[in-house]
Amino acid sequence: MAEPWKRTENGGMMPAMRRPLLTLLATALLLAGCGGRVQVPTPLHLALVTNSDQRLDNDLREDFQNRLKLVERGLLRIHPEATVQVAIYPVDQLLAAIQRRSRAGLEPDLLFVNGDTALTLLRDGLVVPYPASPELLQSFEPSMLERVRDPQGRLAGLPLMVQTQVGCFNRRQVPEPPRNLDDLLRLSASGRPVGLSVEAVELVWSAGSLGAVPALIQTLKGQPLSQANQQALVGWLAWLQQAGGQQRVMFFANQQEAIAAFLAGQVAWIPCSSVNLGMIRRHLGSNLGVAPLPDGPGEQRAAPFNRLRVIALGRHSSGNARRLALAFARFSANPLSQRTMTMGSLTVLPANRFVNLPLQSSQQLQAMHTALDQGRQTNALAALIHGNDGRLPQVQTLFTRLVFGEATPPATAEALVQLLQPKR
Amino acid sequence: MSDLLLQVLSWLSYIERPTVLLQLLIVLAVVAVVAVCRLSRRRRWIQGPLALAMPHLGQLLIGLACLVLAVGGQPFGLALLLALLWLGWSALGLLQRLMLRWLPEREVHRLDTRLIRPLYLLAAALLLISEVDSLSSLAVIPLGQLMGVRLSTEKVFHALLVIYLVLVGCGPPAAGIAWLLQRALGMSDGSRKATELMLRYTVVGLGLVAVAVNLGLNTTALIAVAGGLSVGLGFGIKEVFSNFVSGLWLLFEGSVRPGEVLMIDGDPCEVRRLGLRATLLWRDRDNAELLIPNQTFFTEATTTYTASDRMRRSQVSVGAAYHHDPATVIALLEATALAVPRVLPMPAPKALLQSYGDFAINYTLRFWITNPMDNGGICSEVNQAIWAAFQAHGIVIPFPQQVQYELPWPPQDPHTPPGSGA
Repeated sequence: MAEPWKRTENGGMMPAMRRPLLTLLATALLLAGCGGRVQVPTPLHLALVTNSDQRLDNDLREDFQNRLKLVERGLLRIHPEATVQVAIYPVDQLLAAIQRRSRAGLEPDLLFVNGDTALTLLRDGLVVPYPASPELLQSFEPSMLERVRDPQGRLAGLPLMVQTQVGCFNRRQVPEPPRNLDDLLRLSASGRPVGLSVEAVELVWSAGSLGAVPALIQTLKGQPLSQANQQALVGWLAWLQQAGGQQRVMFFANQQEAIAAFLAGQVAWIPCSSVNLGMIRRHLGSNLGVAPLPDGPGEQRAAPFNRLRVIALGRHSSGNARRLALAFARFSANPLSQRTMTMGSLTVLPANRFVNLPLQSSQQLQAMHTALDQGRQTNALAALIHGNDGRLPQVQTLFTRLVFGEATPPATAEALVQLLQPKR
Repeated sequence: MSDLLLQVLSWLSYIERPTVLLQLLIVLAVVAVVAVCRLSRRRRWIQGPLALAMPHLGQLLIGLACLVLAVGGQPFGLALLLALLWLGWSALGLLQRLMLRWLPEREVHRLDTRLIRPLYLLAAALLLISEVDSLSSLAVIPLGQLMGVRLSTEKVFHALLVIYLVLVGCGPPAAGIAWLLQRALGMSDGSRKATELMLRYTVVGLGLVAVAVNLGLNTTALIAVAGGLSVGLGFGIKEVFSNFVSGLWLLFEGSVRPGEVLMIDGDPCEVRRLGLRATLLWRDRDNAELLIPNQTFFTEATTTYTASDRMRRSQVSVGAAYHHDPATVIALLEATALAVPRVLPMPAPKALLQSYGDFAINYTLRFWITNPMDNGGICSEVNQAIWAAFQAHGIVIPFPQQVQYELPWPPQDPHTPPGSGA
């Protein structure tokens, strides 16, 4: 057997000796690096989720990252070792992916998701309750916090921002946005096509305009409908059917199709989520007009389904990552960061109630703020039925049959009540 | 690109999590145990049923560890996934054995190493990546631009995958279609192989065009690039392109196709494969494989025995003593050739008196054989049969005889016979 220190004919050491030596050297260098003054970056893994009306592409990814950079830059001043790595999930893949990753202990440190999704994740044990201090909770409206508390009172995530539902119109075709539902139908009658999606959460705003939100809340609570609420519910559905009968009101299978038609100039007005405004503006430029959703013909206000975005904590983060995750969440929720995020993109509103926004500076911001105000009536609704509720596709089927005239408003109302009432 | 690299590097930080570290340590420990056990089995320290169960011991141990982790409420998905991937890898061996029932060993080996195992590794890598990141998110990360088209990770990945699958995976389907065509049209084996090769080139060509279109490359730009390339080809890679075009030409012409027999340096060689750059030939004499650039066949004269048919006229030469009647010898030679099994009876063997030599009359025996590659062996058989026939009929094969004597010095009387001692 060759002696380990023996040199070969060409002067090199035996391979058997050389390999352990190199390994030892590499390990020593690595340890020296770790133990020295070199600061090892700590990646913070953040999972973001798209909405159902968003298509995951590079533009959306850059949008997310640009918004994130506004917070990250500030965080780096306090925690220079932190780096944020983003993984974006389409909404329909998130739950399965987080379940799988959590089973392996590899779920992200932070999840930036809708409030109802965070509640589902908490219920399934995929995130930990957010340990917010009472001082921090003071920054949010109690109704907002209620949307992210589970029945045990645990907080599924820290509210960060609100994505509002507004009306988008093409200024070349629509000089003045419709203020109420009558205006909207007049607009379509005057030859400017209006686009609506039959997805339940995208149509709820019109229930507010026709006073049917209390009926929906009563139904979801399992309470019998009063005569007035019954009438309001049928009235709302009758309006939807009437709209479906209009030549220039187009109903789309989903919101993505409605947006695509709007960008192609096929429709002049659609309800849209504020997070899509950046993308739409890139296509339409200054022709994009943004206004609050039309209220009812009477006193009733539109009830946009505003999405509350929260930041939730993964279960298996290391101590270091958890410390940074909490710092990141706290930093994101402070008024300065919230204001920077809002003013940087003009597509979301802050969840922190102490943020002062220059509403007069932007019509878009004003419309979003009005939507936030209008949407207060749907907070209770949002707490009762989540955006990922399994009944919503069936509601969509009912709406589709209704707008194509295959079912009458009273029959649809009855089916809707049966579907939404909690099963005893 | 830097975005993607940063993302990939950030995955390493998951090791910092104690639960992940624990799973990895379990898997590493089991791998180490299995390695030691394999060594023990090789050195016959372990025998009997335990030795038989050894190949799946690792997966079993990881499975048990996962069970313990699950009972303890700890994450176990990573360890389980690694164990399942390991098990799947072992199962590929079974699949290989199963395929051997229907396919030749060489094909199975090629399929296994070039298609099945690489695809398995790719699927495993994607599964592992989906444990630490979102594939949908990684897919949209831009890697750069090509001819004004932004290339995302997904586009590049799909393009590479399709190109690989087309290059590697189109062989068996092309062979299958060529076989069907042979059955339907009654083509020769050589034509079948040529058809197979042309089908492969066609599929590869279409695949490359499809990839370019899928990437969104501008066709005008592609034509411009092709124009530029043609100039480049004229100078830079002239030889490579020349060989490629020569190969295609030979294939269409049908003069050099797999199965053909060509004479290379005086030896019959069988064409095994017509490649993009070179042709692979097999020489029976020493079992050598010759790799000859395609343009050699395109520019130089080549002798083939299989252009119109596979028959070859061969010949052997032999000498017989002067005192034998040439007519008898010729008849005997022809009868002898006819008696050799691998010599064709028709056209009949023909013996000829070639010349009058110094010590023998030289004859040539010409005969026909079916396979040019068998020439050497058949000539040997004929030569042996001639020797036996001559022996039986008392015909002598003379050989030159020389008488050597010593010349005395100084020269003696020329009338005195040498060696008289006088």
